Amino acid sequence: MQYIRVNDLAFHYENEPVLENISFEVNPGDFVMLTGENGAAKTTLLRNILGLLKPTKGTVSLSSKNRKGKKLVVGYVPQQVASFNAGFPSTVLELVQSGRFQRGKWFKKLDKHDKEHVRRSLESVGMWDMRHKKIGELSGGQKQRISIARVFATDPNLFVLDEPTTGMDVHSREQFYQLLKHNSEAHGKGILMVTHDHEELRRYADKHIELVRKEGSPWRCFSMDSCKELSKHHSSFH
Amino acid sequence: MFFYGFMQRAFQASFFISLIAPMLGLFLILRRQSLMADTLSHVSLAGVALGMLIGTDPTITNIFVVVLIAVALEYLRMLYRSYSEISIAILMSTGMAVALVLMGLNDGGATLSMNQFLFGSIVTINQQQVLMLAILTVIIGSLYVLFRKPMYVLTFDEDTAFTAGLPIKWMSILFNILTGVTIAVVMPIVGALLVSAILILPAAISMRLSKSFNGVIFIGMIIALTGMLSGLVASYEYGTPPGASITLIFIFIFALTVIGKKITLRFKQNQFSKS
Repeated sequence: MQYIRVNDLAFHYENEPVLENISFEVNPGDFVMLTGENGAAKTTLLRNILGLLKPTKGTVSLSSKNRKGKKLVVGYVPQQVASFNAGFPSTVLELVQSGRFQRGKWFKKLDKHDKEHVRRSLESVGMWDMRHKKIGELSGGQKQRISIARVFATDPNLFVLDEPTTGMDVHSREQFYQLLKHNSEAHGKGILMVTHDHEELRRYADKHIELVRKEGSPWRCFSMDSCKELSKHHSSFH
Repeated sequence: MFFYGFMQRAFQASFFISLIAPMLGLFLILRRQSLMADTLSHVSLAGVALGMLIGTDPTITNIFVVVLIAVALEYLRMLYRSYSEISIAILMSTGMAVALVLMGLNDGGATLSMNQFLFGSIVTINQQQVLMLAILTVIIGSLYVLFRKPMYVLTFDEDTAFTAGLPIKWMSILFNILTGVTIAVVMPIVGALLVSAILILPAAISMRLSKSFNGVIFIGMIIALTGMLSGLVASYEYGTPPGASITLIFIFIFALTVIGKKITLRFKQNQFSKS
């Protein structure tokens, strides 16, 4: 089964093509990195996949079920979400707890299991001690880390991450990649991540999709170079 | 003054408004829709003018018109996603224009009543309006308790909410309708010109005082109660319009908060440098 299946996708902004001939799949257990120069419509592609935009041509299917036949849970970290809503009146803990709501907790109280997930997620990004801080008081890197903690708290079947490591130091990035790798290898999670750190990430990812500028096109239109399988590198995370 | 029936009704109404205002106000601020309340209050005038023209209860026509426009606002907000204030500009001017035209068609007979809706008046509150406010408070309070979590995620980031499977369009429309109905009911009391201030200011002040989401709502209610009740007393004592009196008290509390926070910060910095 595929969590994401993109088939010959094209997307036009008004009448101007920005994406063409995009086809790939993300299966359970896949760790896929999506790269491309600035303005290569990487975010546009993610938004098409998530249903936030409609493709002009081709099809995108996002599975409704996970590999166990239950409802697929998608964890999405938008680009620079933390800086977008920095003035939001919420503590770090409240925000990360909100990641658990989509696990059937919209109308129920969070239980011990949920709270344990939240604690572990905050600890995994080194933010447990700052849980009572207001999110607006955090630095850019810290905000990014709690966005990551939030998506880990959701414990989704499919991670869709748009440059989630912006503003994070090398050590934090490495830790994050190891965690993702562990999630894909040990728990069969699907991961699709837009990144500029492809040299660092290629040691962890299984597939690499690069959006490249389409030659001969009068517009700034991007297409897929190929979907390269990367050599398997087993993480040291335990 | 507490023995007068109209003052009792005014205090009852203020109590209910104080409970509603921070709940709606916080979401309006976080959704960058602070001016939506202003737009709907301008549109409300058109609703009132229509009611007066066709000779029915202005509150009923008002609710009908405001609900219609609240839905249109959501449509325009999606249409001009990056410039959502355009929808506000379009509908605010439309509302005002329609109100003025309808008043003109009414041969100026409605001018006096219109003044009451523009500036608010304690004597205009009747038992039916207090009852409507009480029902509205129960509805909004229940919806807040029920939908607090989905609304939290929706206001934090709409794309995240959509990905989490929330019906963001219907939630937005329902929220706009509730805001519209509240404005239609509150307007005769505080006045169209200041209704948005009454909704927005308590939440705006409490956002500076509380770290948590629920804390902002709770402190907002205390601030709203303080401002509304003292504003009403001032309005009665000095014969000033209630909406304006209440708004000025909110602005005073806002200034106190800003100064208080600055003093606390400086005190903390001094303590830190001494240690």
